[in-house]
Amino acid sequence: MTSVIGVLFDGLAYGSLLFLVAVGLSITMGLMNFINLAHGAFAMIGGYFSVWLTQKTGLPFLATLPFAFFGAGLAGLAAERLLFQRLYKASHLDQVLFTVGFVFSSIAAAHYFFGAGQQFVSTPGFLQGQLRVAGVDLGKYRLFLIAVVILLTIALHLMFAKTRFGAQVRASVDNQDAAAGLGVNVGLVFSLCFALGSGLAGLGGALGVEVLGLDPTFPLKYMVYFLLVVVVGGAGSLRGPLIAALILGVFDVAGKYFIPQAGAFIIYVLMIALLLAFPSGLGGRRA
Amino acid sequence: MTDLLRVEALCAGYGQARVLDGISFAMKPGESLALLGRNGVGKSTLIRSLMGLTKRHSGSVFFGGADLSAASPTRRARAGLGWAPQERAMFPSLTVEEHLTTTARPGPWTLEKIYEVFPRLRERRLNMGDQLSGGEQQMVAIARALTTNPRLLLLDEPMEGLAPIIVQELAAVIGRLIREGGMAAIVVEQHARLALSMTERAMVLDRGRVVHESSSESLLRDSETLGRLVAVAA
Repeated sequence: MTSVIGVLFDGLAYGSLLFLVAVGLSITMGLMNFINLAHGAFAMIGGYFSVWLTQKTGLPFLATLPFAFFGAGLAGLAAERLLFQRLYKASHLDQVLFTVGFVFSSIAAAHYFFGAGQQFVSTPGFLQGQLRVAGVDLGKYRLFLIAVVILLTIALHLMFAKTRFGAQVRASVDNQDAAAGLGVNVGLVFSLCFALGSGLAGLGGALGVEVLGLDPTFPLKYMVYFLLVVVVGGAGSLRGPLIAALILGVFDVAGKYFIPQAGAFIIYVLMIALLLAFPSGLGGRRA
Repeated sequence: MTDLLRVEALCAGYGQARVLDGISFAMKPGESLALLGRNGVGKSTLIRSLMGLTKRHSGSVFFGGADLSAASPTRRARAGLGWAPQERAMFPSLTVEEHLTTTARPGPWTLEKIYEVFPRLRERRLNMGDQLSGGEQQMVAIARALTTNPRLLLLDEPMEGLAPIIVQELAAVIGRLIREGGMAAIVVEQHARLALSMTERAMVLDRGRVVHESSSESLLRDSETLGRLVAVAA
C-alpha cells in the first residue's frame, strides 16, 4: 500500500515537471499551429545555464532558477524572432525538419560546451531527504517541485483568465484574423508566449536536473513526452496538458516500478487509448 | 475636406484568384456608404481587403492620409478601421465583456456607453462568445468594433441570418449609430432597401467592379435600377 502511494507521489512530481516544460509548447502550438520539436532544447538551455551558474559563480541552486527562466526565455525569444517566425506559413513537414535540425544543433552545442556526461546540481540541505507524512516517506525535493508547479499553474491561469494580455492570447488562438483585424498585434503576442513558454521550459529543465537528468541528448530523449502531453492534452489550453502530464507521469513511474519489463510501453498504449477516446485532446475546448 | 478613405484601382483576391478587379472610390469623414450587389460579386472581399486580409495584386488604399496598401491588419485596425466581420467571428474563449475590453482603445465608446446602446449585452456580459443567439452575436460584433473607437466602421452583413424582428431592432440601432455616431461607415447588406435607408451614398459591385454610384436616396426611389443591379429581397 505504501509503495502505491509512494509511486503515485513520484508520478505526480514527475508529471508536474513534464507539465512545466510542455505547457509552453501547448500554448505556442495552439496559437500559431507551429510544430515545434525543438521545445526541449530550451528546457536543456535552462538546465545547463543553472548548472553552469552554480559551478562558475557559486550561486546556490535555488538562486539560479530565475536565471534559468529568463535565460531560456530570452533564447526562445531570439530563436522565435530570428528563425521560427519565418516558418509559420511553411508546411508542417518544413517545420518538423527545421526544428529537428535545431534539436541536433543544440545537442551538438551542448556536447561541445559541457561534454557528454550527466550534469548534477546540489540541492540545498532542507530539500534533501524524506518527509514522513502519515506513515509514507515523501521526497522533500519532489514536494517542493509539486508546490512550485502548483503556484506557477495558478499564476499562469490568472494571467490567461484575468489579464488583458491573456484575453488577447485567447482571442488570437480562437480567431487569428479577427484578433488582428481588431488591432491585436498577433505576432507580438506570439513572440511573448513563445518566450514565456521557453522560460517555463528552462525553469523546468533546471528543476528537473535532479529528476529527469541532464545531458546533451535531453531534447531528443524527452521530445516524445512533451509532444504526448500536448497532443493528448489538446493544444492551446492549460487544463488539458496538466491532466495529460499528470496521467503520463503517474503511469510512466508506476509502469517502470511495477512492470519494469514493459518499460515505457505502458504509456504509449495509454496515450493511444486516450487519443482514441478523446481525439481532439483532453482539453476539449481550446484555451 | 480631404478624403478619409481613398481606394485606387484596387485588384485583390485570394492567392492567384482575383476577386476585385480595379475598385476605386473615396469617402469623407463621417460619410456613410451602402455597399450592395448580388452574392459573390466581391463585397466581403472588398471589406477584407480594406482590413488587409486578402492578397493585393495591385492598387492602393489610403486612410487618414496614410498609405496603408501594404499595412498589416493590426496596423489598419489601430489606424481607425473598425471591423465587424461577416459571420460575426466571435471568440469562444472570451466572455461578452472581454470581447468589449480586449481590443478597446480610448475614445467616446466606453463600456458604459456600449451597455447603454446595447442593454442586452449587459445582461449577457458573462456569457462566452459561443453561448449567444445570432442577434446577440451580431450586437457583440458591432459593439466590439465600436470599442476600438474607429473613424470608419465596416459592417459586413450585420443582418445576415437574423429573424425579421431582430433585423428591425438592430437596423434601428445601426441607423442611429451611423447618423449620430460621428464616424464614417460602410454597410454591406443583402437587404438593399434597409441598407439604403440608413446611409447617404450607395455603391453597387458586380464581378469585382463598381457598376453604380449614387446617393442612397435616389437609388432607393429608382426601383427599376435597384432591381436590375441587386436581387431585392426587402
